[in-house]
Amino acid sequence: MKVLEIKNVHKIYNSSQVQVHAVNGISLSFEQGEFAAIVGPSGSGKTTLLNMIGGLDKPTEGEILVDHTNLATLKSTALIDFRMRYIGFVFQSYNLIPVLTAKENVEFIMNLQKWNKKKRDQRTFELLKAVGLEDRVNSRPSRLSGGQQQRVAVARALASKPKFVLADEPTANLDSKSTETLLDIMEQLNREEGITFIFSTHDARVVKKARRVITVEDGKVISDEQK
Amino acid sequence: MIWRTAWKNVWRNKVRSLVVIVSVTIGIFGGVFAVAVMNGAIEQRVDAALNNEIAHIHINDPGFRDNYDIQLTIPNLQETLHKVWYTEGVEAVAPRVIITGMANTAAKSAGVQIIGIDPSQEKEVFQLSESTIPGTGDFFETESRHNLAYIGQDLAKELNIIRYILDESVLDSLSVKEVPQSVLLKLEPFVGKRFKSEKTFKKEMKRILTPKEQHNYGRVIQEEAWSFRERSRLTLTFLDRNQVQTGAVFRIAGIYDIKNNMFEMSQVFVKNTDLSGLTGLGPEEIHQLIIRITDIETTEQVNETLREKLPGLEVMHWKELQPDLAMMTDLVQQFYAVFMVVILAALAFGIVNTMLMVVLERTKELGMLTAIGMNKKKVFSMIMLESIFLSLVGGVVGMAVSQLLISVTAENGINFSSYAEGFEAMGYSAHIYPEISPLFFLMVTILIIVTGVLSSIYPALKALKLDPADALRTE
Repeated sequence: MKVLEIKNVHKIYNSSQVQVHAVNGISLSFEQGEFAAIVGPSGSGKTTLLNMIGGLDKPTEGEILVDHTNLATLKSTALIDFRMRYIGFVFQSYNLIPVLTAKENVEFIMNLQKWNKKKRDQRTFELLKAVGLEDRVNSRPSRLSGGQQQRVAVARALASKPKFVLADEPTANLDSKSTETLLDIMEQLNREEGITFIFSTHDARVVKKARRVITVEDGKVISDEQK
Repeated sequence: MIWRTAWKNVWRNKVRSLVVIVSVTIGIFGGVFAVAVMNGAIEQRVDAALNNEIAHIHINDPGFRDNYDIQLTIPNLQETLHKVWYTEGVEAVAPRVIITGMANTAAKSAGVQIIGIDPSQEKEVFQLSESTIPGTGDFFETESRHNLAYIGQDLAKELNIIRYILDESVLDSLSVKEVPQSVLLKLEPFVGKRFKSEKTFKKEMKRILTPKEQHNYGRVIQEEAWSFRERSRLTLTFLDRNQVQTGAVFRIAGIYDIKNNMFEMSQVFVKNTDLSGLTGLGPEEIHQLIIRITDIETTEQVNETLREKLPGLEVMHWKELQPDLAMMTDLVQQFYAVFMVVILAALAFGIVNTMLMVVLERTKELGMLTAIGMNKKKVFSMIMLESIFLSLVGGVVGMAVSQLLISVTAENGINFSSYAEGFEAMGYSAHIYPEISPLFFLMVTILIIVTGVLSSIYPALKALKLDPADALRTE
């Protein structure tokens, strides 16, 4: 079942001096349960593509359909709501809320969606256990290592059972051991929950784990390999 | 959750938040306590006016207050009294005969208003009798065949009835009150000297004492040297009902002090039986009825009822008799609100500055929150709540500190004796008991919340304008 369709998407940035064609006619689709990596050098357009998939940026041309909904048809408030329900984000620098505990960070989105307390607590503990942090439930981010923080971020991204998770360079700030642990967890969650993971990455270890590798260069898809 | 997150965000940078909170605390404390002192002074002034000077309602002939014509007495006195007594809300009534005249001693004279009263009825309406200076007599309680007069301290000083005497007992009292020996040595040469007026006494003290000694000990020296000679007399002269100059010698029954120079200088009280006899007025001929009512809040209502019952007479309540007092009580609440608004407006700029810094520092975080699904309304609410919490914490602490100080000073008052002359010249006591109503605290709380809300608008709008994709790229 297709969860995401990208149809001939372009993104052009116009500045006073130069026109930048960051994404140049990319068409892709993703099925449920995929574990895909988008790779390419810096400036290849992968982050721009990810931002457009996540509804954080609008294509200049083309369509992005999430679960058959064209993101361009959604107004600002509806788009934010759509993101909350259907898309999970994992950022390079974790971006946890520093004043909240691991538990509170994970349940943040569920609170936004007004889940009842029992269901919320159950899902939160389930996820924290899945990422191996059931004993750090009440720790604030400042008391967690980089790897642990990223694992909390993954748990947060999965909290509302999104259609897919977008992870932009999730391992860039982690050591090798933490990277390995994080990838194993994400792979396990991908298998157990059936949630699609789409990575934007330079990291060879991520590419190795991915079951589909899409190479992007100069805003175009150069190759799209299933393993 | 937004509330909890906002509260925790306030304490993210403890030092910065505490600086804002302390500034709000100081501002609120300063404002509330200043208002309490002003309010206390005004409440005391109004109480003093109602209890000692004017009462709640006056009834007299319509033309009487224009020139105090002796002929303009209240017609059908008994019928009028009956109507007044049977009006709901009336607690006490006292009759008065009022004449303008002169008070004279061998040394000086002064223009006065001579008020003939029935002491027992007067005591039901006024508390002036409680202001008698100890050792000077009483409020017509001693039976005497002489005409008796009850006068104000300032009039007594003006007529040299009060004098200043330095003797050994005065120096002993000053020593007990810890006046330094160096000062007492300067006073020694004046032992046995009688100063006939306050003016000459003060002049001499200014000459022999340094300014610092004057400031620290001048008042206590004056209080100890104060002397009143029993059986002092004064002559009251005035025109009788036939416009013939007449008068009599009156012995001082007592001297009152109500910290109101103007009133004390001009109002002399005598028994109306004595005054009527001298003026030729009959026992049923009086100029004015003064009324005390049970509940000050019903003043206008009772006044209106009396006006309807007594159409041929002038019935006026205290706000009409002293519009300056009325203005103070009616307008002062608005003044307090404006005063607090000005303080909070100044504080608001500090809060806006802090919240702008908060939004700038958390640009990436705000971008992330929008990315993961926090809508604009919630982002706005979160920023607004942080601003409200900052102002409210400071405001509550400020109000608590001011309430504490008000409670402490309400017991013993604040002594502004250095400025006593100025205060008393305007009719105010120099000893103020701060006072504030619970409603004022409620108003301040609401204003604090409004300040928090308004201070957050610009920073919150800045936060809403952030593009999530750009915000996430911020370092």
